[in-house]
Parts: sequence; structure tokens; C-alpha cells
Amino acid sequence: MTAPTLPFADLERVYERLATTLDALPEADESHFLAQLALALAHRVPDVDQVMAAIEEARQGATLDQDDRA
Amino acid sequence: MRPAGRSETDSLYFDYPHFPFVRPPELAGQAVRHRVAIVGAGPVGVTAALELARHGIASVVLDDKATVNDGSRAICISRHSLELLQQLGVDAPFTAKGLGWNQGRTYFRDREIYRFRMPHSDQERYAPMFNLQQQYIEQFLIDKAQASDLIEMRWQSAVTGVEQEADGVTLRVTTPEGEYALACDYLLAADGGRSRLRESLGLSLHGQAYEGRYVIADVRLKSDFPTERRAFFHSKALPDATILVHRQPDDIWRIDYQLGPDEDLEQAVEEASIREKVSLIIREVMHESDEWELEWWSLYKAYTLALDDYRHGRVLFIGDSAHLVPIFGVRGLNNGLADAANAGWKLAWVLKGQAPEALLDSYSPERRGATLDVFANAGKSTRFMTPPSRGYRRMRNAALALAFHNDYASGFANPRQVTPYTYAESPLTLADDPAFAAGPIPGAPLINRRLGDDDFLLDHLGTGFTLLHFSEDGRVAPALRESLDSLQARGHDLTLLRVARSPADAQTLVDVDGSLFAGYGAEPGSAYLARPDRHVTARWKRLDPTALEAALTSTLGGE
Repeated sequence: MTAPTLPFADLERVYERLATTLDALPEADESHFLAQLALALAHRVPDVDQVMAAIEEARQGATLDQDDRA
Repeated sequence: MRPAGRSETDSLYFDYPHFPFVRPPELAGQAVRHRVAIVGAGPVGVTAALELARHGIASVVLDDKATVNDGSRAICISRHSLELLQQLGVDAPFTAKGLGWNQGRTYFRDREIYRFRMPHSDQERYAPMFNLQQQYIEQFLIDKAQASDLIEMRWQSAVTGVEQEADGVTLRVTTPEGEYALACDYLLAADGGRSRLRESLGLSLHGQAYEGRYVIADVRLKSDFPTERRAFFHSKALPDATILVHRQPDDIWRIDYQLGPDEDLEQAVEEASIREKVSLIIREVMHESDEWELEWWSLYKAYTLALDDYRHGRVLFIGDSAHLVPIFGVRGLNNGLADAANAGWKLAWVLKGQAPEALLDSYSPERRGATLDVFANAGKSTRFMTPPSRGYRRMRNAALALAFHNDYASGFANPRQVTPYTYAESPLTLADDPAFAAGPIPGAPLINRRLGDDDFLLDHLGTGFTLLHFSEDGRVAPALRESLDSLQARGHDLTLLRVARSPADAQTLVDVDGSLFAGYGAEPGSAYLARPDRHVTARWKRLDPTALEAALTSTLGGE
């Protein structure tokens, strides 16, 4: 795949912004917020295969260790 | 701290030297005027003394202790620092005893998710990093200093007061045999993070403290695991603690582990707590089954704190007295050594009369600039190593989990190890020649290149400024030769280093495979002017001989 991707420096900015945004939300609203964010980002990606691939990447990362969540 | 029943200097592997008190002439009532006094015989203070001695300047080093540091503390020495130690002629014991390394591994939930490698090639004399306990670092530097006629070490000498006058500094020194006043032209304050000199002068560090607290513990353990940096996040054994493991010489292993926000500090540093956690880490995280012994431990908190100005008249702060940085990325010692070299050569040039006192004005902007750059990086790595909040912890773990299968996320797991700072904004650095497409820019340090078996470019630097001159056959234009002769005749310590494509006379360095010309983006006629601390001050794609003197004057703080 040769689709353009976000430069790493910008990915770092996203990381920081997400961390502070999560901190400003009640913990109980985290997954609600992240699910909305996933849909909002997916809307901006014109290729559905890319979105499905991202979902699979996140699923694999989330199940690295089934019995323990951070 | 050490286990019960063992004194601070009762080590499993290191024989602590005892440095006797020697009565100085001042105590016999003799008036002595020292050119430079250095307070603190740690790695930074003694490096400054060696740098001054390299340029022919005498100094006296005072320390209240009678031996070296109580523990291993700063253990990672960067390549840039090794190149500095080479200039001081003291690199051999460091490379003989130290353990070189160039890679590391990151683990998340007991899985290896990422390996990083630091830039390394056969063009380099030194590995990117060497691990060596601070006691050895200090001992090797002190051995070298004691062999110098220009360095006087005064042990068991506590500085209890400081007064600055227009033309010098006076210290009050307390010794086992009484007090005396020590007079000097300039003072280097290398008395560490809790600097008494800083306090006496009414100065304080500014910046921020981070949430994370770490125990750093040394154990003796036989293991075949190679010398690498290992970082463990969210291990099953200690899910809330980030853990770092480093190998040191003499079968000593450094284990750093994070303390939880609610942990009681006093209890956390009790021997029983240390043994319990360290044992868990050795067995369940490092998966080592051999017997181990506890050597030493200490408590560490991450800070980014610095003085607003590193120079106060005739006092220059070097090392931890000027700045405290987080350990992640190993910048504390390495930046302290760079401070020592920077302050050392500048002071030497002023005292030799080869530069106006204005040269010293560049010390603080250059080295404080390096500190602020460290802060920018260290903030990121500290928030990664020790997430300060739920949001940062969530993002950190998400990035690590993605990094297991996806390269795009592995950059987050990169430890951002120390890299030498480029003095691009310094008043001493001249504008770049836009004709260059490669090579170190003005402000950056010279890069090394292999010339042959056990022979590298940086082995050939002069003690002072070096003009690296590129040509076809080693010949130097008569006008340039004239300019060099004239500068040298006026006392400038300036060495001409000629690089040629084809062999000429014996003093020419031959670029056998073209990598030297290529690495420096040079063509015949190109030249680099480097300072005594190896940083490039100017470069020319085609050197006009009349430009050399102007560049040298400007880089020495002149008009």
C-alpha cells in the first residue's frame, strides 16, 4: 500500500492531544469518546479497506493479553 | 544506600580509594593566587580540570569527600563523551573496562514488542554507548588528573563560603586542620545537584518536577544476557511499574523500577522492600534463576530544572549544579561533560589572552540551549516512561500494544537517547555555506571517519582549533599557508589537518575510499574550522584564505 500516512511528528501531537483530552473526561466516558472518534476518523478515510485494517490492528493490540487491561 | 552491616564504601566489586588531606600552602599563611578553582571532584569537575590542563591552564579542585561516589549512579557514557575523553587522553581505561552497546529492547506485558538500534558503523571508533559505574568513571579521571602537574586535588576540603569581587573569587575552605581563604581568578561550580555554591550565591533552579519516582538498585548476578537496554512496561509481576535493566561491568546489573503514586517513600527504600521487589523482577521479569546479591540502591525523581543563567560574573556552573534532567535518555552525565569541555576551553582561551572575556558570554546560551533541548525531549520520554495521568497511561499502553505488530507505532517506544547538541544559534557559530549538500553544519560536532586500521579522523585533532582542509594531493595554496603562519605566529593554537584523495606527504590523511570527502560533502578546496570541543564553527565549500582570520576572530567572541 502506498497511501499517504501521517508523519510521525504529527502522530506524536495526536498522542499528546488525546492524552490531555482523555484526562479532561470522566473515566466512564472514555470508550464512548474513543468510539465516536473512531467513526469521525473513519469518515475522513475514503478507502473502507484501510478503516477495516485499522480496526483489525487495534483488535490485535487489545487482545495481546486477554486477561488484563491497562 | 547499602544493605545492613555494610558501610557506604563497602562494595561487592569496587575498592574505594582513600584520598588523604594534604595541608595547602594557604594554611601556612602563604598567599597563593589560583587561576581557576573547581569545586567538586565528580566526573564533571575533574573533566573541566583536565580540559584546562590540556590547554596549559593550572587549576585546583576541591572536594569535601575523601573518596569517590558512594554508588554507580550515572552509568551510560555516550560516544560523543568518549570522543571528549579521547581528547583528554583518558579514553583507554573507559573502553577497556566499560561495556559498549548499541541496541535495546522494549517489552509490553512480557512480550518483546520493539528493538531499537543506535546509529553505528565501522566509521566510528567508539560504540554509541558504554556502561560503566560512576566510581570507575571518577577513578579513571582522578588518576589522570593526579598525573598532571597542572592539577592540584584538594580532598576533605569543604567550601563553606564564596565571595565574588571585580577581579576574582574568594572561597572559604574548611578542612580537618582548619579554615583558610582561597583566592582565584575564575571559579567553576561543579558541586552537584544540591550545589552549596549555588545557594551561597542566592541562585536557584527553575523548572518542573515530574510525577514519577524510581528506585535504582544494583545487584550482582551472573547472566549471559548481552549488554543492551531493556525496558519493561506493564509486566505481569509489576503491572504498574516501568522497569529498566542495564548491564554494568563486574557482573553488576542496574535495575530501575517505578514506584506507585501512593507508595510510602520511606518504606519503599527499606532494605526488605528493595529485596522483595528486586527479587520479583529478577525472577519474573528478567527470568534469571541464579543467586543474586544486593549491592546498592538509591531513590530518583525526574526533574527538568535549570539555572536561568549558567554564568554569574567569574563563576561558571557546570553539570548538575546548573541543571537537573530526567535519567531517561542518559543526559545528566553526558551533558555535564559537554559543559566541562565548553567552559574549559573558553576559560583557557581567555586566561591565555587569546580571546576577550566576552568569549565566556557564549557559555550559558550554548549549554543552556542544550539543556532546554534536553528538556523538550526528556519531557516526552518521561511522560512515556512514567505517565503522569490516566490519559497518558491509556495512550502509552495503546501505542505499545500497536507497536507489537505495526512499525508506524514503534517510534513511540524509542528511548530518544542523548545526541550531541548543535550550537546552531550560538553567537560563535558562523552562517553556513549554502553550497554544502552534506556534512556537519556549523554548530554541530565533527563526524568521525575510519582512515585505516585503528586509525580515525578524530585521532588527529589538534589541542586547539583545527582547520580540516580537503584537497586532491595535500597541497595548500600559498595564501592560505601565509594566513595560517601569521595566525600561529600570533599565538593562536590552530592545527592544519590536511585530507587528500591521493597520497602526498606523510602528514596528509588519505581518504582511501572517498568516505571522508563524502561524509563532509567536500571537494578539493573545501575546509571546516572546528573548535577545541570539536564543534564546527564555520565551513567553506571553497575556502578564501582571507575568510579564515575573520572566522577565528568572530568565533572567539571578538568583533
